[in-house]
Amino acid sequence: MSEAPLPVDADDAAADTTRRARDSVWWAYFPVMVTAVVLAGVPLVIGDSRFFMGLAVLGLAYAGYGVGFNIIFGNTNQLFLCLGALAGVGAYGSSILGSEMDLPMLVTIPLSVAGAALLGAVFSWVSVRRRLDVIFVGIITLTFSLMFINLLLGQRDLTGGETGLVILYDAGVVGRRGTASFYVFLAVLVAFLAAHRWIQRSHIGWAFRALRDDELAAELAGIDVARYKVVGGIVGSAMVGLIGALYAHYEGFISPTTFELGNVDVPVLVMVAFGGIGSLLAPVIGSAVFTVVDEVLRPFSQLRVAVYGVILLTLFLGFRRGLIPAATDLLRRVTRRR
Amino acid sequence: MAVVFDGVAYGLQLGLLAVGLTMIYGLGGVLNLAHGQFAVLAAIAIAVLSDRLPTPAALVAGLAIAALAALATDATIMRAVYRLDGEARVLLSLLLTIGLAFVIDGLLIYNYPFTQLKLSVPGPAVDILGVPMRRGSLAASALALSALALLIVFLRYTRRGRAVRSVIQDEEGAQLCGIDPARVRTAVFALSGALAGLAAVAEGLTSSVSATDGTELTILALIVTVVGGLGSVAGALLAGLLLGLVYTMSQVYIGTYVTLVILLLTAMVTILIRPAGLLGRGV
Repeated sequence: MSEAPLPVDADDAAADTTRRARDSVWWAYFPVMVTAVVLAGVPLVIGDSRFFMGLAVLGLAYAGYGVGFNIIFGNTNQLFLCLGALAGVGAYGSSILGSEMDLPMLVTIPLSVAGAALLGAVFSWVSVRRRLDVIFVGIITLTFSLMFINLLLGQRDLTGGETGLVILYDAGVVGRRGTASFYVFLAVLVAFLAAHRWIQRSHIGWAFRALRDDELAAELAGIDVARYKVVGGIVGSAMVGLIGALYAHYEGFISPTTFELGNVDVPVLVMVAFGGIGSLLAPVIGSAVFTVVDEVLRPFSQLRVAVYGVILLTLFLGFRRGLIPAATDLLRRVTRRR
Repeated sequence: MAVVFDGVAYGLQLGLLAVGLTMIYGLGGVLNLAHGQFAVLAAIAIAVLSDRLPTPAALVAGLAIAALAALATDATIMRAVYRLDGEARVLLSLLLTIGLAFVIDGLLIYNYPFTQLKLSVPGPAVDILGVPMRRGSLAASALALSALALLIVFLRYTRRGRAVRSVIQDEEGAQLCGIDPARVRTAVFALSGALAGLAAVAEGLTSSVSATDGTELTILALIVTVVGGLGSVAGALLAGLLLGLVYTMSQVYIGTYVTLVILLLTAMVTILIRPAGLLGRGV
């Protein structure tokens, strides 16, 4: 093992102050605030058009899934390929609870989110217990996703099978198409980002970094790897479940297709990987880019998938670790040279 | 009894579908999520070419096209993957082959939306141990069985096959013995493409393959591969048989939609009991 020599700063005092500035709370939450402000301006730019607001809300939902995935995979190295299923648990859970038991939204959503979190906890716990590799966690959760979709298709009485489920009762602000629901989703996304940053800065984030770098070493250093992985699984899954539930009430209609692997997991994986797995803003940047790309490619009809593929190939061949790490590297190189 | 036979027939097909994938993983530590797409590519090529060529020639050409596509993949996008190692390698291979799968899917569905590969073997059902079996199903089983047998013989008893196995077991050791892992990898990648094509042919003999089937085939191959143990050819065969039997039995005795759930549950339980797979090397 070779270690790069530590860079010695000529001006220690200056370095000290910048470091202190960087450690400050204000600086830590700065990206979250910028994101909030920039995204809050989106409706002002694109207007209250139903179509574009729909796209924007979808983009926010994907970014929300992305934050959850980023916490699970980017921080604790567990490849959950059951995001669609977790979102589906949130969505179907809350709408079925609402219609069958006549509970208000404020009760059903937390319940279904708890369900998703519990599921995430089980996956994390099982994979830690069985010491599964990244790929195996991926396959187990992928198998679960397929099972979940098949169960949705099968339990017609409850889920409406492939025809889907219409959510009949009033969803309040969430269901009001246009700017109102946009801001609801934006608030949730910003809360997620803040939570992610908070985790990164807490002792949990410290443990996450250690176990991501080297699980064995982290274990030897006295970190309860199992516990922190389960924590990651719970937090991320709850986020994904919440977005699923909100999306169901916003859209007013859900079907198994909504939560298919190809409609949730694959795009989210691609978005987060494009932004840079583990980076705070990766889900936001990835989701923004792919929402725009998807729209631009719409005229290509069926060929769109192929063009999408070509874009993916070029992107991942170009920025292997993601856009954000590549950009920060570049920035660091430029500033150091000066 | 009939159920068992059907299960074995389906299982052999699953095994054939999965071996290519498992060998690539064993060799290069990469997952090819475009495996099912290679199969579909071969199927569509055969279906299109058989209008102009005699069927055997179309078959050979179709398999060759799948093999060439795999070869091209190895020579282009996989280069970047091989430069990494460990989990970063698996992840990049996964992302890139998802992209590739999109490209193949998109092009095929756009150009051949209604083309289907359906190879029918005419003639009445054949009695085997008192069970009438469709000829197509028998031909598919025979095809899968002979391909897998040939593959195992190749890997066990030929010099080149041993070279492949040595790279699977210990890449560095193989290199020290004068084997070029990169060349072995390329050859096996092409072979896996051809095997995927063969699996599509088997599928075409029993039912049909169309341009939209790629993803489903990829996922099936992936599950069988993992249940059997990544990198183990015999494991893929065994897992294919196990899952094939489970599938047909639950289809007959329990009911249609639960079947897939049971198949997936079996896969999940097997992975949890033996994370290394049925015949995988210990973790």
